[in-house]
Amino acid sequence: MTTTTHNDLPENGLRYQSAIPVSRGKVAMWLFLSTEIMFFTAMIGTYVVLRFGVPEGTWPSPHEVHVVEWLGALNTFVLICSSVTIVFSHEAAKQDDPKTARRWLLLTLLLGSVFLGVKGFEYASKFHAGICPSFPRSSLYDRADTVWLSGLKENIREQIGVLEKDKQSPHSQEKLEQLLLVQSGLVQWTETKVGKTDDPLMQRFALQSLAWQVYPESFSQQEKDGFRTYIENEQLEVAELLKQKQVTLAAAKKKLEELQQEIKTLKEKGAPAKEELATQTGLANKATAEVTTLTSLITPLARRSEAIDKFCIRQSGEAGALNHDLDLQLPMVIPSGNTWANTYFMLTGFHALHVLIGLIAFVVLLPMSLGAAKAGLVENVALYWHFVDIVWIFLFPLLYLF
Amino acid sequence: MNDSEPKPQSHRTIFGIVFLMLCGLTALSYWIANSHLMDEPLHGWLAMIAVSAAKAFLVITFFMHLWWEKRWKYVLTIPVILLGGVLVLLLVPDVADRISTYSKTRSGHAPLAVESPLESSH
Repeated sequence: MTTTTHNDLPENGLRYQSAIPVSRGKVAMWLFLSTEIMFFTAMIGTYVVLRFGVPEGTWPSPHEVHVVEWLGALNTFVLICSSVTIVFSHEAAKQDDPKTARRWLLLTLLLGSVFLGVKGFEYASKFHAGICPSFPRSSLYDRADTVWLSGLKENIREQIGVLEKDKQSPHSQEKLEQLLLVQSGLVQWTETKVGKTDDPLMQRFALQSLAWQVYPESFSQQEKDGFRTYIENEQLEVAELLKQKQVTLAAAKKKLEELQQEIKTLKEKGAPAKEELATQTGLANKATAEVTTLTSLITPLARRSEAIDKFCIRQSGEAGALNHDLDLQLPMVIPSGNTWANTYFMLTGFHALHVLIGLIAFVVLLPMSLGAAKAGLVENVALYWHFVDIVWIFLFPLLYLF
Repeated sequence: MNDSEPKPQSHRTIFGIVFLMLCGLTALSYWIANSHLMDEPLHGWLAMIAVSAAKAFLVITFFMHLWWEKRWKYVLTIPVILLGGVLVLLLVPDVADRISTYSKTRSGHAPLAVESPLESSH
C-alpha cells in the first residue's frame, strides 16, 4: 500500500505511513463537513420536533404561506445539475484539461446563482405578504382571538396615522379611505359584536369571519363557504335594519323641523305663548336627541354595509382578501405560522448562506489554471458543494412537500 | 487503491446515470406529495424521506466518490450523525411533546386549528 505523499521507498525498505492515507486538505474538508453535519442536523432536527409538536391541524399548508412546490422542485433540479457540472469540472481537472474544467465550473457558478435567484424571488413574495419573522412582533397570529384583534386595531391605527401625514398622493388617500372603512366597517363592527354576546362560539365565529376577510388562505373551502353565507345573510339583515332606521330618522327629522317651525311661531307671539313654548322646546330637545341617537346607530350600519359591499362580497363570490387584493399588510391569522416562518427562514437562510459561500469559492477558483495540480482543490470544493446539495435534498420535501 | 490519486479514468457515464436517477427521484418525491399516499400523511412523509435518503446515498456514493475510495470518512461522519440524532431525541420531551405539558392558561394561547365553531358545535 502506498501513501499519499511518500511514494518513494527509502533504502531501508521502510516507508512513511500517514495516519489517514489522503491529503491533509481532504481530511480537513471531511472534518469540516462532519461539523456541518452536526450544524444542519441540529437545525433540521429542531424543525422536525417543532413541526410535529404543534397542536394538531395547525401547521400551515404550503398554499397558506406562499410556498410554491414547483419552485422548490425547480431549485432541486438546478442544484442536482450543479452537482453534476462540478463533478465534470473535477473530472476535467483530473484529466489535466483546465479549459474544460473552467467551463464546467462556470456553469456550476451560473446554476448556483440561479438557485439563489429563485430563492430571492421566493423570499420577496413572502416578505411582501408579511410572512416573515419581525421585531417586535410579526404579523402572524396563532388564533383569531382578542389578542389578534388588538394587534389588528393597533396596526390599522398606526397605518392611518402615517397616511394622514401624507395625504398628498392619490394612492395614500385611497389607502387611507380603505383603512378607515376596514376600521369602522369590519374591525369595530366585529368588536361590538363580540362584546354584545356571551356565547364563546359566536364570539369565535365573529372573530374568525374577520380573520377570513383579512387572509382567507388559512381556511378550508367549507369554512370559506360558511363565512360567505354568514356575511351574505348579515348583509341582508343590515340592509333591512338600515332601511328601517333611515325611515325612522327621516320621520324624526321631519318632526323636529315641524317643532322648530312651531317654536319659531310661538317665539314671535311672545309672552302669551310662554308655557306652550316651553313644552314645544322640550319636545324639540327630545326629537333632537332621537335624531342624534338614530344617526349614531345608522353610521355603523351604513359603514358595515359599505364594507361588506366593498370587501367581502365580490362578483366571483370570493372573499375580499384584504391583504392580497388591497395590499393592506394587516396582521393575519395563520395557526403556527410564526413557528413556520422562523424555522423556514432559519433553515433556508443558512442553506442559502452556504450556497453563497460555495459561489465565492467558485469565483476564487475560476481564474486559476485548473489542471491536474489543482484537481485536489477542485475536489474539495466539489465535496463542499455536494454537501450543500445533500442538505437541500432533505430540505425540499421537509419544507415544500410535508 | 490509492485514495488521494483516483484512477484518471472518467466516470462520466456513471455520473450521467446518477444524474438521471436523481431527477427521477425528485419527480417521485413531487408525485408522492400529490398522491394518495398523503391521505395517511405518515406514509407519505416516510416515503419522501426514503426517497431523499436514496438521493443522498447516490450523491455521497458517486459524486463524492465513496464508491471508489476507502471508507475512512465514516469514522468522522457516522459518530456526528449519531450525535446529531441523539441531540434531536433530547429535544423530544421538551419540544416535540410540549403540548402535553401545557397548563390550561398556556393552552388558551396555543395555536388553534381554524374550523367553523358552528360546525363543530353540532
